[in-house]
Amino acid sequence: MAVAIEEGTAGAPDAGHGTRALAEPVDRRRVFAWNRYRFWEKATPFLFVAPVIAIVGVFTYWPLIYSIWLSFFDWNFVSPVKEFVGFANFTRLVDDPRFHRALWGTLVYILALVPAQVLLPLGLALLLWPIRRSRAQAVYRVTLFSPTVISFSVAALLWLWIFNPLQGILNKVIFEFGFAKVSWLSNPNTAIWCVIVVSIWKTIGFNLLLYLAALEAVPNDYIEAASLDGASGWQMFRLIRFPLITPTFFFVLVTTIISVNDEVFGAINVMTDGGPFDRSSNIVYYLYEQGFRIFQIGSASAVSLLIFAGTAILTWVQFRFVERHVHYG
Amino acid sequence: MASVARNATQPGAVGAARWPRRIGRGAAHTVVILLCLVTLFPMLWMLSTSFKIPTEVFTRDIQILPRTPTLLNFPEAFQYFPVANWFWNSLLIAVVTTLGKLAISIPAAFAFARLRFRGNNLCFAAVLGTMIVPAVVTYVPNYILVSKANWINTNWGVIVPSLASCAFYIFLIRQYIRTLPQEILDAAKIDGASTWKTLWHIVLPNIRPALAVVTILSFLHSWNQYTWPLLVLDNMKSKTLAVGMQVFASNSESAQLWGPMMATAVLATVPPLLLYVFAQKQIISTFVTSGMKG
Repeated sequence: MAVAIEEGTAGAPDAGHGTRALAEPVDRRRVFAWNRYRFWEKATPFLFVAPVIAIVGVFTYWPLIYSIWLSFFDWNFVSPVKEFVGFANFTRLVDDPRFHRALWGTLVYILALVPAQVLLPLGLALLLWPIRRSRAQAVYRVTLFSPTVISFSVAALLWLWIFNPLQGILNKVIFEFGFAKVSWLSNPNTAIWCVIVVSIWKTIGFNLLLYLAALEAVPNDYIEAASLDGASGWQMFRLIRFPLITPTFFFVLVTTIISVNDEVFGAINVMTDGGPFDRSSNIVYYLYEQGFRIFQIGSASAVSLLIFAGTAILTWVQFRFVERHVHYG
Repeated sequence: MASVARNATQPGAVGAARWPRRIGRGAAHTVVILLCLVTLFPMLWMLSTSFKIPTEVFTRDIQILPRTPTLLNFPEAFQYFPVANWFWNSLLIAVVTTLGKLAISIPAAFAFARLRFRGNNLCFAAVLGTMIVPAVVTYVPNYILVSKANWINTNWGVIVPSLASCAFYIFLIRQYIRTLPQEILDAAKIDGASTWKTLWHIVLPNIRPALAVVTILSFLHSWNQYTWPLLVLDNMKSKTLAVGMQVFASNSESAQLWGPMMATAVLATVPPLLLYVFAQKQIISTFVTSGMKG
């Protein structure tokens, strides 16, 4: 092949090899090799992207289309016939009290977790920023990030043990202080907050890391200029740092909103099973129960499409907002 | 640079002005240390419980450290449930998924970064587009696909569909390849290297840091993934450690196996935690250089 390319690019007259090639009669084998080389060079980019396109097509985009199809049918996974029911799977949701409770739970999770996961790490990053050169900082980073690298189900199990009504350390501590023990996970009012606590504990470190990296990238000249002009700490943040880290801020915001429904699933499944009375359930958990507990495939597909629509709209809104209001440094 | 920054943020940083600053720093340290303790507590509590004998686990008073440390919880966990199988499944799935993701991501990332061909942008958009498709949407159809392929209760049923979530890794590698000077690629081409050889001999050795990060992130992700394996792995022996947690949890009230339970949680926690502690610098630096700079 190396020979072939020399032949092909033999424009340079001083390459003795090339001039000889011109003088000689056309070597069929070389032409063939050159053509083959060119063919493979043309084909290589397509071969490089083909596997990922195939995988993504089969396991991401095809399911999306197939979900739309399935959402119009009544089917239970095993039955040989799928019965066409039109929009009944969607309209049925309107009357399902369990779906209403799941939606309410979804709302509570979003309203509690999005601010907590977007703003708490930002505050923490600003707190860590002045002491970023201290030796302890590396330890802080490793420690605060550590829950991120363990599984959500493990995290949930650890907290299940802490929240345990009889032997759990939390109840033991509040009992020592003279309060009555609480059945954290079987009380309809506290169960959802237990899941929220686990989620905050689990995810705070990741966003913290992103914010710290963003703060690191703010050019020192800007900070220097602002401080020469006598800017206060708050002004420095509001007028210099925050505008410059807004891309990260919105990245964190969008990814949090998208992932929040999904990520609490493990904690719900391990800790509360959606209960008591669906009070800690959310829309993803509802989908799981519909699709994989009572095998209402049509209804589960309908819910999955609602989730997709919601995610798509949110993403679109966020990107529009980012385009208009975010300053890129 | 550090000293410049310090002087810059604190123009009057002489004499008296230093004191409020020190107090502020002390306060920051205190708050962060407290937060670190809160963060570490559940894991330390897990570790402590996993070495406790049953009477200490179920004692009335608060007992932070085990008085008579024991290792018996580990073999006991293996007795109740096939924890060894779970560990092996977790490892196999994480390793194979990671290798598979690397194998499909690297050539694609190179093509998206440096090669010109029809449909380049369209393909890249299709790959990035998967990031806004929530995984939950794909569960039901993929479950049907996997059950048609007879992959329920097998590692393949977990691995193959997971390969589709590689968009972020492709993006990371692509960004890294774009920072390589075009000259070295041109030089390879002039020397007669085919695209494939350029990728193998020129690009690959130069993107090792990005590959290290992708490997670590992908391993962690596969080791920890929960929902999809929960659906596919129904059989007790075929489960992973992450999914096995749910088995312990659903038996927690009836069996009261808190010691063995925490021992299994330790097994599930140690590999990812070790990996992170050794590689955290690389992870952080890649976040900074990969275009998520701010």
